[in-house]
Amino acid sequence: MRNRASNSLSKGKIRQSWSKYNLYNLQRLRSPATANRTFFQQKWSAKALGRAYHGEQVREGQWKRMFSKRIRSVIPMDTADLAADDGSKNSAGRGSGLQTQGEKGRPSRIIPFTQMAFAPLERRLDVAIFRSLFASSTRQARQFVIHGAVTVNGQKMRHPSYLLNPGDLFQVDPDRVMFATGAAKTKFERRETRQLKQKDEEDAEGDSEAKSEDAAETKPDAEKEDGRDTLKALMAQAKNIMSTDKEILPAKRKQELRGFQKAVRRVLSRSGTSTILTDNLEAQFSELTLMLNAKRAEKKPAKQTKQAKTDAEDSNAATSVESEAASDKLSEAFQAAAEGADVDASELTDEEFEVLKRALTQMRDNPIDNSKPYATPWRPRDFMSAFAFIPRYLEVNQNICAAVYLRHPVARPGSAEVPTPFGESISTPAYGWYLKRRW
Amino acid sequence: MAPRIQSRSVSNLLPYITSSSSITSSSIPSLCSSSQSSRYFSTTPAPQTKLRRQMFEWLSTQGSGLKHHTPGETNYLRMADGSQSNRPFPNNMTFISEPVLSEELRNEVYFRVKEQKKSPRAVSVELGIDMNRIAAVVRLVELERRQRDKGKPLALPYARAVHEMVPTTPLAQAGERQPYHEPINDLPVHPLTGAQIFYPVPESRPFTRVDAGRVFSGAPKLEKKVSDKITHPSDLVDDLVQKPGSIEWVGKGDNARQVLQPADVRIPHPQLVQLARDRAAFPEERRTVTQRHTERLERQEKAEKERAARAAERRNRNTETIDPKDSRFSFRIKDAVVSEETVGKNGRAPWAPGRRYGVPTNDRTRGTVKIPTRVNV
Repeated sequence: MRNRASNSLSKGKIRQSWSKYNLYNLQRLRSPATANRTFFQQKWSAKALGRAYHGEQVREGQWKRMFSKRIRSVIPMDTADLAADDGSKNSAGRGSGLQTQGEKGRPSRIIPFTQMAFAPLERRLDVAIFRSLFASSTRQARQFVIHGAVTVNGQKMRHPSYLLNPGDLFQVDPDRVMFATGAAKTKFERRETRQLKQKDEEDAEGDSEAKSEDAAETKPDAEKEDGRDTLKALMAQAKNIMSTDKEILPAKRKQELRGFQKAVRRVLSRSGTSTILTDNLEAQFSELTLMLNAKRAEKKPAKQTKQAKTDAEDSNAATSVESEAASDKLSEAFQAAAEGADVDASELTDEEFEVLKRALTQMRDNPIDNSKPYATPWRPRDFMSAFAFIPRYLEVNQNICAAVYLRHPVARPGSAEVPTPFGESISTPAYGWYLKRRW
Repeated sequence: MAPRIQSRSVSNLLPYITSSSSITSSSIPSLCSSSQSSRYFSTTPAPQTKLRRQMFEWLSTQGSGLKHHTPGETNYLRMADGSQSNRPFPNNMTFISEPVLSEELRNEVYFRVKEQKKSPRAVSVELGIDMNRIAAVVRLVELERRQRDKGKPLALPYARAVHEMVPTTPLAQAGERQPYHEPINDLPVHPLTGAQIFYPVPESRPFTRVDAGRVFSGAPKLEKKVSDKITHPSDLVDDLVQKPGSIEWVGKGDNARQVLQPADVRIPHPQLVQLARDRAAFPEERRTVTQRHTERLERQEKAEKERAARAAERRNRNTETIDPKDSRFSFRIKDAVVSEETVGKNGRAPWAPGRRYGVPTNDRTRGTVKIPTRVNV
């Protein structure tokens, strides 16, 4: 399906998307004027606005078939109230309860029924993926489904219009989610990727030649090579930072990074078991953290010489919350590690160990990897936070990019669960438009 | 859309001569100067350029705060009065960004259900989380553990970022009171209650929720003998939990419907009403109240388990399962039954099994939906 849904500024329509154009349109949205306009005109423009946001990828006829005038709602019940009265108090007198003069019932809040006009569309798989924050727009979610990156209850589902049933578990490929929600690569990073790809291709050619020559020799070492490769990749990541922003990074930082590389290598080679170098990345990481813990335990009684310095570092770590700060923290940790390696790790303070451990964790969880289609280390894309909310009818586990559609969205006194940017002045005429017996 | 030059920069007597120079002139906004315009001879005003300029101006001034988030705080558009709130859409006052379960709370739910073997109902009341959500959390955490064991890739930095952006319900520290996540006793509004009914009742006669339910579903009045036995609508809970099939039916054919039960029965945690009643009846005897409550819960759970077991047995009675050795598959074989439920009234129902002679497959006809309507786990 061709995407006709552009983020035009002149029309100012709002879409299910995290684009900055959309954010700007959302910010300047005002309810349309009703003066000098017929009721038909008001309903027409309201439904046009509403449909531009709710299921613009769904044909009008299809949506009309989905529309239901009955709107689901719930009332939260208070068990103490239920226990106190069997209902006869409410029906006493002339049928609406006896009320003494001073006593007034609780102020009842209105249930915003018409805000739920487009509720049936929230059942669609593509919309639910967007609502779970797994894609940056419904169009993108739709593409993920069509390209086979989504499973429902463990089975691949290729229909974006699949209507989720309560209890359905859907899962998106984590790599796609990271791509959809992560910041885009800079042109330097893109060039890195290209170079990496070229290098890989050359290597593959070379390998195939080499393999054909001496297949018997390489085979027994294959697993060992694997482990070493992962470690090498770990080392190369720090190198990569340097090469990407060669001009930006000061020379000192480079030295620090090199120091970190050396430190990791030294730490691993000095360890008692020589198999770690050949083990997988996970084992190496756990070994490193284990050793860090052991060293920390050993040196507990030692003096705290670098107190002032670490305090400064901590405050740095606390204040640096911006996206770029991640790399700063990393470099701090590198620095700490480099120092630690030079002085045989016994003069590191607790805080430094903490920072180093955090850096190691981050190196494992959020590595620099140019083969990924998003900027690494991963950081959220710009303006994502303005759209970040998860409605109650979904239960999402972000670690595995899976979510459960718990129930259909409902309205309750004072709030409606369908996320819609429009107020009553748009949703009510739009609801009226789709009724069989139109208002 | 490609940026366009504003008409004022080209409004000249000889536009085709000056247009090229106008591109390089400094009068054009900096944003548009980067790309060449294809509309050299056009004098049509192009409002997009102005709008784009305004947009980028807004994004760099007021909107700049929305670019990045502060961990632990929501960062939505400001309301009309400039205040920050938990409403992501400033025009929609009825939609609130509600908190999600924090990672620790999620693990706690899993721990209580799986390790401590508590029932989802009990955990739901303890933590103030909806029962469906409890079940979903257990499913998701289990799936996550399986994936971690297999070494499948996880989206950890993404998860951390999302939990920084959206409000979360934390797990209470030891000694603190656990904040409730959501209302757990939501009563779904039944469509039958939408009707406005004029139903005269003598003032001397108490009219309870049980009676109201009967009126809404068009059932005859309860006999006095029966209604006198019901002191409170929550008395019906025990019987209905034991035998949910005992709910009375009214109407015939397609119009047949079950009698609408009072709210005390239809809420997800009816035992809490009984607990509240016990507390009011025996305010001094705390132990008795708790004991009665646990007994009631045990009875309820036992009945639910028995019912589930019976249903499973009924399902398996007609099915033969064969698990061949060294096979990924297990085969479930059922004898074909030709009845109105399986093949429809005329034997041609679309859900009837197999290819039937003389029955065309209707999947090419207009309006036949082939998208699956359910995926079985």
